[in-house]
Amino acid sequence: MEKNPDKGYVALLGWSLGAVEAAENFDRRYVVVAPEWAEDYCKQHDIPYIPWNFERLNDRSLEIAETLQAEGVDVAIPLYEETVEWAGAINSVLMKNPRLHGQAVLFRDKALMKRRAQLGGIRVGIFEEAHDKDDVVRFLRRVNQTLLKLDGDPNDPIHLKAFDKAGCLGHRVIRTPDEVDMIPEEEFPVLMESHLDGWEFAVEAWIHNGKIAFLNLSEYVTLGYSVFVPATPELESWRPLIEKEIEKLIKTFDIQFGQIHPEYFVTSDGTMYFGEVAYRPPGFKAFELMERAYGFNAYQASILVFDPHTTDEEVKNFFPEPVKGAKGYAGCFGVYPRRRVVSQLEIPEEVENHPYFDYHELTAPMEETVTKRTAFGTHWGLVFFFGDDPHKLRDLLKHQEELDYYI
Amino acid sequence: MSPPDNSSGATATLETVLARMDEAIELLAAAPAFSKTTKLARILDTAKRLMAMEGGCAALESRIQALEEAGVFLGSDWASPQILVPSMTTHALQSPDPNTVVIEALSELRMLAVARGDYLHPQLSVEQAHHYLTQVLAINLAMLFTPPSEAERATQGRLAEIPRRVLRHLAERIGYEHVIDQLIDEIWRILRQRPIQVDPVKQMITQIAICRADPNIDLGASGHGAERLVSSLFAPTNACRDDPGIETFEERLAHLDSSALQSEANGFARAMHDTGLASPYHAAFLRYLRGKADHLLADALGLSNTGRDCLLCYRELVLALIDEAVYPQTAQAVYGLSMMLERGILYQTAVAPALWRQIGLPLSDWAADRLYMAFGDTIPPRRRLLEGVLMMLGLPLGVGQGNNPTCQSARALSMWSFNDPDYLLQILTWGARDDEVIVHFEGQPVSSHSALDGRPLPIDLDPVSLILVPHLDHIYNEMGRMCIGREGDPHRWVNPEFHGWWVGRGFRINVDVATGKLVNPEDFLRHFYAYYHPYYNGNQPLIHPQPAGIAVTDSAARFIGWHAIAIQRVALDTSGEMRVYFFNPNNDSGQDWGDSVKVSTADNGEGYGEASLPFEQFASRLYIFHYDPLERGEPGQVTQEELDECIGYIRRSWGAERLPSVEMQASQGPEG
Repeated sequence: MEKNPDKGYVALLGWSLGAVEAAENFDRRYVVVAPEWAEDYCKQHDIPYIPWNFERLNDRSLEIAETLQAEGVDVAIPLYEETVEWAGAINSVLMKNPRLHGQAVLFRDKALMKRRAQLGGIRVGIFEEAHDKDDVVRFLRRVNQTLLKLDGDPNDPIHLKAFDKAGCLGHRVIRTPDEVDMIPEEEFPVLMESHLDGWEFAVEAWIHNGKIAFLNLSEYVTLGYSVFVPATPELESWRPLIEKEIEKLIKTFDIQFGQIHPEYFVTSDGTMYFGEVAYRPPGFKAFELMERAYGFNAYQASILVFDPHTTDEEVKNFFPEPVKGAKGYAGCFGVYPRRRVVSQLEIPEEVENHPYFDYHELTAPMEETVTKRTAFGTHWGLVFFFGDDPHKLRDLLKHQEELDYYI
Repeated sequence: MSPPDNSSGATATLETVLARMDEAIELLAAAPAFSKTTKLARILDTAKRLMAMEGGCAALESRIQALEEAGVFLGSDWASPQILVPSMTTHALQSPDPNTVVIEALSELRMLAVARGDYLHPQLSVEQAHHYLTQVLAINLAMLFTPPSEAERATQGRLAEIPRRVLRHLAERIGYEHVIDQLIDEIWRILRQRPIQVDPVKQMITQIAICRADPNIDLGASGHGAERLVSSLFAPTNACRDDPGIETFEERLAHLDSSALQSEANGFARAMHDTGLASPYHAAFLRYLRGKADHLLADALGLSNTGRDCLLCYRELVLALIDEAVYPQTAQAVYGLSMMLERGILYQTAVAPALWRQIGLPLSDWAADRLYMAFGDTIPPRRRLLEGVLMMLGLPLGVGQGNNPTCQSARALSMWSFNDPDYLLQILTWGARDDEVIVHFEGQPVSSHSALDGRPLPIDLDPVSLILVPHLDHIYNEMGRMCIGREGDPHRWVNPEFHGWWVGRGFRINVDVATGKLVNPEDFLRHFYAYYHPYYNGNQPLIHPQPAGIAVTDSAARFIGWHAIAIQRVALDTSGEMRVYFFNPNNDSGQDWGDSVKVSTADNGEGYGEASLPFEQFASRLYIFHYDPLERGEPGQVTQEELDECIGYIRRSWGAERLPSVEMQASQGPEG
């Protein structure tokens, strides 16, 4: 697409084909900053590209910031958890605002993040850092004592998460001290959280000039398996409350622009618990689902709100009205083989014939023996659905858990 | 949000899935080239569901132009439909991978839209598409008429239904009778060129035979023309009328009296010479006669006086060849043997001893492996190669290049078999026994040894080509490399050195190698007439075949590429028109080159394997020829009308962009 020289010039940190495609078809100039393995592809397809290896931040970090500054880039957009801190560091140079780096560090460290949220008056569960297995056992016991459980009562589970990994990566659920032994030493340190009973959901919010430009609610059917947008009217009924929570988040973390992806639990009495927040696109193809449902490209939305040259008018015209602006409900299901040994992929006939079935991204099995599922987020591929009734879609997604895609 | 529609019943309807398809096409079209592949899963999956629905194939057919323009074939072989090979479709349509099945099926639907004239395709003409589809249907007749086999069901599951639905749609739109009848015409047209490689033809005939035998398939009035084809393979004579199997047939032979044996011999010969196909029974029959009734061999081979004479002169050799090379698994050897005897080449003193050497030739591991890889182990590689030798010597113009860019090698093999058969046997000995062929280029030896180092080599070739083409291709290219730095086109030096002394050292080209523009076309044509046209060369028939280069055009007269052929002879045809008869190493010479230039392969005086065009039409596609500079002819007598007609053909085809707008002044051609 023809680029508008009066608008901003963005750098995409990390390689994401979907993001590059969106940038290519958008009127902002862009450059991809990605490891060297992306170079051949970029050259071959004339994709503007600057090589960079996103290892740990080090004393060479300034180099990429200066390179981008010399190139005339206005802002860096993180595409992955691993590039969030880089974006903060780079933007603090590009925008001459050192606080942006400190902000990014908060997003990267889940313990710091929770503490900051707590300070901002946001309700969070009980959490603690664990350095070894003993810490975990102690926390599990203490949480259940707090819940006034007696010996022999089933424990409430606790959740273990890596400090600096995206979404479900490294997420474990622990119910008994025995299970603690299963945790490999190299996973420590981790963040431990009490289990929050309630309805878990995710939010994708685009922020421009410190205000919410668009807020999407992604409803989980089963965490790690299925999600859809827009949410059911039941969850959407909490929207005003959720918006208030997001505004608190914006204030607490001093977010002026960008796209955030927080997770919450809402209990039956309407109490919101903050889970965590990420300053990057969500996993699980939520951007694709939004595009399917609303028709706007979520990566372009991010470029828009990151660009310092974007006007309020542009932002207003870009986004549709939440829920009412959607053409239908789009959901996806992450397939995990149910059998221990599989030989082929066969889409269940009832799925293939269902009017809500859209398409799938599953591939034939690479190996026959299925490894036991230990953590979340290791599905073999996604199946997409689209329809006009959110409840029907939700039940359909739930039903997928009982079907064999790999036989 | 839009109001809920009422389609949300238990199953998806054609309309809902089609709406999804249209959306997916839009997304694909909007995606930049580098991310198109990420949109394909959705397209292919939706297409697959459509193909399984009533009316889905028709709906896809009407969207196929949009699909192709959006980029569904981009980056795959299917992006160049003009190079697609019908015989590959079976494999793709029976693939366990749904994406392969669907993209192949979409490609067939594209051919259909083009063939019906609904889709004006930049790379495909209506005829090309129609021709291609007929062949696809012919090759996949079994899938068209029969439910999936157990094997297909096991590998493809419900997917096996998709190719059937698509093929049925194709056949319905083109017409079943049409398919069978055209298929039969097609087979006859190919057979009249007497190709060495007949396996694809045999496959098609077998499919027809299966369909005709199946009571569930109604072919209507069509398919009757297949009688001779089917019988020539499966039941050419009385004793095997019921296709009883070789063993039973041999038992029956033992009980036949001499007149019945005579009539068997005649029947076999007639079937074979009618079609160019030899039945496995025929091979068994020859082996039976050998030693018991040698006097019937000449009749069983269908020999004329020439062949019979040859057989009698070289009796021991012929018997040895039958012993070593003629088996039911190598039935075509019968035809090769018969045609070789007819050519009388055994009277060239070197040929018979060279054949004796060939009979005892030990094969290198490489050569044996290659033959084994291409033809399997039903017969030892040595016998397979000997069958190939007989076929190539019997049908010098039946050589084909397969689906490989090796026209020069195929042309050379044909030329040697035609003109210098003992040389052919010599390099085959080097290639098959020693893994190295050495040819000299201007006194310097050029070895083929490094040709065999691990590169993928063509496999769809006859036995002799299978061994020699890798060597020859390497040597030809090496010779070209040795010409780097010389001014002008390297064919000038390579062709005579590569093929033999008889290739004229004089050389003309009408294309400027650097710019691709036509240079001095009139002068070029004038000299071509003077050297080759009997009216201007002192009525001298061409003595040896000469390599030449042509600019191949498609049926819309658009330039496709440069191609190597051999001019065999120039003569008046039966209706008094002067024609150039030439050998095209392409597997099927009958081609439409556009602007009413249609290469003929039969009915205009062509011998087996010859292609022909009226002189001026041929000249209009020529860009390189060789000649003997000492025989000048009468260039001055060629009339302006003849030249103008030729140039008209050039201007309306491949020369459209290459001819200068104002005719060239007397500038120097590349040859000076």
